[in-house]
Amino acid sequence: MIEARHLSKLYSRGVYALRDLNLTIAKGEFLFLTGPSGAGKSTLLRLLLREELPSEGEVTVAGRNLSVLSSQEVQAYRRSLGFVFQDFRLIPRMSVFQNVAFVMRVLGVPVPVQQRRTFQMLKWVGLQHRMNALPDELSGGEQQRIAIARALVNEPQLVLADEPTGNLDPDLSLEIMNLLREINARGTTVVVATHDRELIRRVGRRAVTLDHGRITEVG
Amino acid sequence: MAALRYAVEEAVASLWRGRRSAVLSIGTIAVALFVLGAFLVLTVNLERLAADWSQAAELSVFLADEVGADQQRAIEEALATGPVVASRAFVSQSDALARFKQMFSDLAASADALDANPLPASYEVRLQPGVTGEAVEELASRLRQVPGVADVRYDRQWLDRLLAAVALIRRIGFALGALLTVAAGLTVGNVVRLALHARRDEIVIMQLVGAPTAYVRGPFIVEGVLQGGLGALVALLALGVAFWATQAPYLVPLAAALNMTAVAFLPFITAIYLMLGGMLVGCLGGILATRSESR
Ligand SMILES: Nc1ncnc2c1ncn2[C@@H]1O[C@H](COP(=O)(O)OP(=O)(O)OP(=O)(O)O)[C@@H](O)[C@H]1O
Ligand SMILES: [Mg+2]
Repeated sequence: MIEARHLSKLYSRGVYALRDLNLTIAKGEFLFLTGPSGAGKSTLLRLLLREELPSEGEVTVAGRNLSVLSSQEVQAYRRSLGFVFQDFRLIPRMSVFQNVAFVMRVLGVPVPVQQRRTFQMLKWVGLQHRMNALPDELSGGEQQRIAIARALVNEPQLVLADEPTGNLDPDLSLEIMNLLREINARGTTVVVATHDRELIRRVGRRAVTLDHGRITEVG
Repeated sequence: MAALRYAVEEAVASLWRGRRSAVLSIGTIAVALFVLGAFLVLTVNLERLAADWSQAAELSVFLADEVGADQQRAIEEALATGPVVASRAFVSQSDALARFKQMFSDLAASADALDANPLPASYEVRLQPGVTGEAVEELASRLRQVPGVADVRYDRQWLDRLLAAVALIRRIGFALGALLTVAAGLTVGNVVRLALHARRDEIVIMQLVGAPTAYVRGPFIVEGVLQGGLGALVALLALGVAFWATQAPYLVPLAAALNMTAVAFLPFITAIYLMLGGMLVGCLGGILATRSESR
């Protein structure tokens, strides 16, 4: 599913956030990216979202070399995957329902289908009763679950999550991991960046450890 | 289509949220198009006036009472159709009297009482269109030299002055209108940019979830178009009200004094053009704002 070859990312200040990274992630896999702060976890996910371009090497996702996409192809690619941001990134003036339905709206999915899927998704994350609320009216954990609902509503083949449990208590963290495990069980490839080793142990999946932009340990 | 619907819905909502600053840009567009429209009304009517005037005889050559046949032939020769003269018509003394009686029926009886006809015979001369003032002036002074000519009346000067005034007024109107329109476009651009800036985070999020450009920028451009269209609408309404308010007290008597049938408002198609112009300005403002904002 994901193939990174000699991948390096050099920021302008001369720091290698990633250095000659080689990584293969199989279709249907559930993989943790871990490592200390500044190791390059977010950088790798940003490259996978094509938010940034690699300085050297290349990364291929589902056969697409992300370095050579046109801006339209980038848009289509991003719509084809689900991304959970550490800071949720919900659109503040849209209701919970509109936030989750947004990508389907952009894709031109018929309104009744949008409504049915959004509602089911909200029910699945246990927040259907808050669908008319604005993101600011929700707690951090609730916003995180909405962000996950948004990432999954299109049934993407690949879900990327950056610290999806960053500011959550352990119980809520596990609950969110269970949501991701559930979607993984249906065949979706899931990559989660977290420095929470305890959580990784409890979920019990393969983990790749990064440090200073290099892979130091493959679990 | 879905993108357009989305853009319109979002633009209307955004316009409503930012209605205070939108009033500013709608206002500037309205002022610009009001000025432009007022000048257009003015020139449209002056042009009609000029057309009316140029229909009338432009040069009248009055003959002396005792004019000989060869003198008259010489005058006709001077008035031969050419680069200046388009046509001429002879009005005899009795024709002139008949016209006089028809025009002033009250005085007809007293005219009959006179034993001799006091009105002179004349030639009414139509000039070629586009003939210069100097050429006409030259013809007039040449005619005055011809024996048997009592007087030459020439109201071409008025027409020329009128046409010059129309041209000048139109130029001033367009220059002023253009200036104000550019200002209006920039104002729209800034208002849209404010809206963009306020929603910067949201735009980034939309880009990260892969929203197509039409969805990201469309609403802002449509917002500009709506501002422009509303501004044009306000301008047209204001023009209409101003026209209607001045109609009875000023315009009708003015038209009568100038021998015009009526003072006209903007032709429908011009109003449509103003409307489209406003929307175009708004659209350009919106595009400008989205261009400059997206690094
Ligand atoms: N936009 C940027 N400009 C310059 N340097 C950056 C930028 N983003 C990240 N870096 C640097 O790249 C390195 C890797 O950062 P990254 O965010 O990928 O780490 P991380 O593993 O996600 O850390 P954390 O666990 O704290 O989120 C760090 O040294 C960071 O300072
Ligand atoms: Mg990070």
